[in-house]
Amino acid sequence: MARVLDTRRSRFLLGGLVLAHLVVISRQVDRGGGTSLLGQTVFAVLSPLQRMVGAGLGAVLATWSGYVDLRHVYRENQDLRVRMAALEMELQRQQDRLREADRLREIADVKPSLPFDTLLAQVIATDGVPWYRTVTLNRGRADGIALNAPVISTTGVVGRVVAVGPRAAKVQLLLDHESGLGVRIERSRITAVVSGQAGFADHVGNMLAMKFVPVLADVTVGDVVVTSGLDRMFPKGLMVGRVQSVKATGGLFKDILVAPSAHFERLEELMVVRARPDGLELTEEVRPPEPKAVPRGAAKTSPATR
Amino acid sequence: MRVFWTALALLAALLAQTALGRVVPMQARVFDPFLLVVVYCGLTGGEVHGMLAGAAAGWVQDVHFGGRILGLSGLSKLLVGFGIGMGSTRFHLGEPGARLLVLMVATIVDAVLFGQLAQVFDVQAYELSPLGLIARAVVNGAVGMVVFETMDRQRRRWAPRA
Repeated sequence: MARVLDTRRSRFLLGGLVLAHLVVISRQVDRGGGTSLLGQTVFAVLSPLQRMVGAGLGAVLATWSGYVDLRHVYRENQDLRVRMAALEMELQRQQDRLREADRLREIADVKPSLPFDTLLAQVIATDGVPWYRTVTLNRGRADGIALNAPVISTTGVVGRVVAVGPRAAKVQLLLDHESGLGVRIERSRITAVVSGQAGFADHVGNMLAMKFVPVLADVTVGDVVVTSGLDRMFPKGLMVGRVQSVKATGGLFKDILVAPSAHFERLEELMVVRARPDGLELTEEVRPPEPKAVPRGAAKTSPATR
Repeated sequence: MRVFWTALALLAALLAQTALGRVVPMQARVFDPFLLVVVYCGLTGGEVHGMLAGAAAGWVQDVHFGGRILGLSGLSKLLVGFGIGMGSTRFHLGEPGARLLVLMVATIVDAVLFGQLAQVFDVQAYELSPLGLIARAVVNGAVGMVVFETMDRQRRRWAPRA
C-alpha cells in the first residue's frame, strides 16, 4: 500500500514538475527569452564560484604556460648559442680562406714579374723567444732552398734563410738584431747597411736602423730604400722600406730609421728566391707594390736634418 | 543529508565543467558531469531523488551553459532522472555493466529529449551528430564508471561510521 502511495506521489511530483517546466519554458518563449527569477538567482549564487574556478585555472594555466615558454626559450637560447658558435667558427674559417686567397692572389700577381725563380712557402712557426726574430717555413732543402736564400713578400724584403732542413727552413727576419742587408737610397744612390733594431725589450720595435750613412749624405724622410746587391745575397732593387726618420748625431754618421715595407706582423706566405742572378737589378716597373700606408706611427723627423 | 550531498555533487559538476571548458574547450562538450550526478542519484536514490536531482542539475546547466530559453536541460534531465530512478527500483542496475549501459542510454536519451524539446519550443540548438552522440555516451560511460566506483567506495567507507 505504501509503495503504491509512494509511486503515486512520485508520479504526481513528476507531473507537477514537468508541467512547471513547460510553463516556465513556454513563458520564456512567449517573452522571447530572458532569465527567470529562479534562473537569475541560481546564476547569481553559482557564478562567483565559476568565476573563482576560471580565475584560478587562468592563473595556473598562465603560470604553466609561462614556465613552458621559459623552458622553450631556454632550450632555444642554448640551441642558438651553439649555432652561433658554429657559425662564428665557420665565418672565421671563411674569412681566413678569403684572406689566404687574397694573399695568394697578391703573390700570384707579383711572382711572374720577378726576374728570378721563387718558391712559395708558408710560415709554419714564428719566433718562440723574445731575443731573436725568426720564422720557420714549410719548405726545405728538398724543395731547393739553400742557405742564405733571400726571402721576400709581396711588399718587400723579409729576411734570409739561416738554417735549412730537409722539409723546413728557418728565416732570420730583417728585424733581427743580428741581421744585415746592403741597401741603397734609390733617389740619391747612397749605399748603406740596414739591420734590425729588435732585441730584448727593445723600444724601437719593428724599425730598421740604417747604418754608415755620412752626415753630409742626401737622405730625407720618405726616401725609398732598396737592396743594393753588394752583399751578394739579395738581388738589387728589391724594396726594403722608406726612411722614417733622419737625425744628425755628433759623430760621422747619421742616425736613420727605416720603416720596412714588409708586413712583419702578419707573415704567412712568403717567396724564397731559389736562384740569385748576379748583376740583375730590378726596375721600378717590376718591383713588388709598396705598402699602401706607413705602418708604424707618424714620422719622427727632425726638420733640421732634412 | 542526501540533499546536501546532491547539491555538493552538482556544485562539483559545475566546477568540473567550468574547468574543462577552460582547459580543453572543444573536448569539454563531449563530457556531461551533470548527467553523471543525475544517473547516480537515480540509481542510488530512486525516482524522486533522481527526478529532483535531474531538475536541479538541468537548471544549473541551463543557467550557466544554456542558451536563450532556460529549462530545456532541466526538463530533459528531470525525465532522465525519473526514468533511471524508476528503472533502478524495478531492475538490478548495481552491476558495472548495467551502470555503463544506463550511463550510455541516459546520455543518448538526454540528448534526444533535449533535441526534441528544442524543436517543440523552436529553440535553435546545435544538433549532435550520431558519431558525436556515441562519443559523448562512451565518454560519459567511461568517466561515470570511474566516478561511480569511487563514490561507492567512499559510501562504503562512510557507511559503518554513520
